Amino acid sequence: MATQTTEEMEAKVSERVALTSDEEKVLKEGSLTDFGIQAQPREYFRAMRHGDPVHYDEKLGSWLITRHEDIWDVQADPHTFSVHHGYHDFQARGLQDEFRGYLREHGGGYFPDAIMSDPPYHTRIRKLMENAFTAHRVKDLEPRITEVVSNLISEVIERGDGKCDAVKDIAVPLTIRIIVEQLGLDQGMEDEISKWSGAVTAQISAMQNRDTMIENAKLMSELQLYLIGKMKEREQDPREDMISDLVHAEVTNEDGTKEKLTFEEAVSLVRATLIAGNDTTATAIGNLFYVLTTKPGMAELLQESVQEERMLNRFVEEHLRNEPPVRALSRAATRDVKVNGTTIPEGAHMLLVYASGNDDETYFPEPREFDPTRPNLGRHVAFGGGPHRCIGLALARMEVKVAAREIARQMKNIKLAIPEEDLTYLKTVATRTIESMPITYEKR
Amino acid sequence: MGNLTVKMTDTQGVVHSFDSVEEGTSLMELGKQNGVSGIMGDCGGGCACATCHVYVDQSWWDKVGAPDEIEYAMLDMVADVMQDTSRLGCQIKMKSELDGIEVVVAPASSY
Repeated sequence: MATQTTEEMEAKVSERVALTSDEEKVLKEGSLTDFGIQAQPREYFRAMRHGDPVHYDEKLGSWLITRHEDIWDVQADPHTFSVHHGYHDFQARGLQDEFRGYLREHGGGYFPDAIMSDPPYHTRIRKLMENAFTAHRVKDLEPRITEVVSNLISEVIERGDGKCDAVKDIAVPLTIRIIVEQLGLDQGMEDEISKWSGAVTAQISAMQNRDTMIENAKLMSELQLYLIGKMKEREQDPREDMISDLVHAEVTNEDGTKEKLTFEEAVSLVRATLIAGNDTTATAIGNLFYVLTTKPGMAELLQESVQEERMLNRFVEEHLRNEPPVRALSRAATRDVKVNGTTIPEGAHMLLVYASGNDDETYFPEPREFDPTRPNLGRHVAFGGGPHRCIGLALARMEVKVAAREIARQMKNIKLAIPEEDLTYLKTVATRTIESMPITYEKR
Repeated sequence: MGNLTVKMTDTQGVVHSFDSVEEGTSLMELGKQNGVSGIMGDCGGGCACATCHVYVDQSWWDKVGAPDEIEYAMLDMVADVMQDTSRLGCQIKMKSELDGIEVVVAPASSY
């Protein structure tokens, strides 16, 4: 809770659960760096959650926070658990100087992520962005979002072969088209933006080697130069779009004085909005196709749910709990601190494992059941929580909801066109993203 | 500084009395700025996270009014702790008609 003191937080220890021998084994040998575990992490998460809820993943070099209660406590204390250090100090692990140097030389500059910061600076930056995507503003966008999504799915169906890649042909272009329109960027650049997004999100993957770091820095440079060009245009000639807003934005200081956002800050915020605004929501929509094609009864449940707004809202929220796109994000301890009986040393890297929190049986009984009637759905941590809770959450929900509605309206008999075990997942600790999903379907 | 008054009982049962609240300040902002237990306001007032959930005192309900559809959808996500006079604090902006309002901060949804 908001007023829990750090002493109270540090004194809390909750009961450990006895592990099965399989769980013991995965706890001992498992690591989130393992591609097999990245693809199918639930057993590893459960073993940690039950037996060692604040677990040091040695190969990764991170402390994994896996119980819902602990995730909730950690994210409520942004001073002890720093996003700024968790993100920036570990960006391009071991290759940081080279990464930054490359961007300075080729990408117009190295722009630290203004939003990946700590209060009080973070509070001021965040305030700037908060009005862009309130639930009410997003509701006003619903007709336009519906048009974009409906058109995209119709385009795919019009090809007439009853086949497509649910990720590459639907989920990815869908979310890009929407955020591009909001920002005021150019349509028709979906392939580039998708590649650029991959390069930016690779920065939190913990999976880069030198070659991929350079490749990603190259793509990020292209992205930055493109964004800088657009921002310079809007500096001269403002329009009704988010880029213009950010280029001209002023931050209000604590004493009430106003200060213009620096150009560097503005670049980082446009970049963050573009990337966060498409990548994770695309993953959520890809995951929607995944559950529709692999979980018995889901297609029928969706058909039922789209009949009624409340049921559909609940369906979407349970989907986000059940298959959270972002599985883990970083913090760094700013001092030696005890979490659930385990001391995390100052400076250490931590991951809040949202996917484990959402499966925490003490909050969500029978977590692998898809149950949109859960009375506490809003407690899931798919959007994180605390002052860093996802700022685009209302937009993300709306895009998933509209996608669900349009899929149900236009497509039926959706099936995976390859065996489930052949699906591949992006190599990253941060998200659980299906890379490609060939499906067959019939036009409804 | 304004001159409106608000009585807010937090999740620990502590009563916070405010007597210089400015018009236009939301109950979420008021609670968050003053460290009222249970008011987190994660999403910043966007009606999108239900971490500023309050129960409006019955005697004030008519003046405050029912939530709109968007707010109701958010409250429905914490159905286990929702009551008849549930509202999100971020959606209640102070004005002279609400001078003296009393609310109780709702506990977090658990299971």
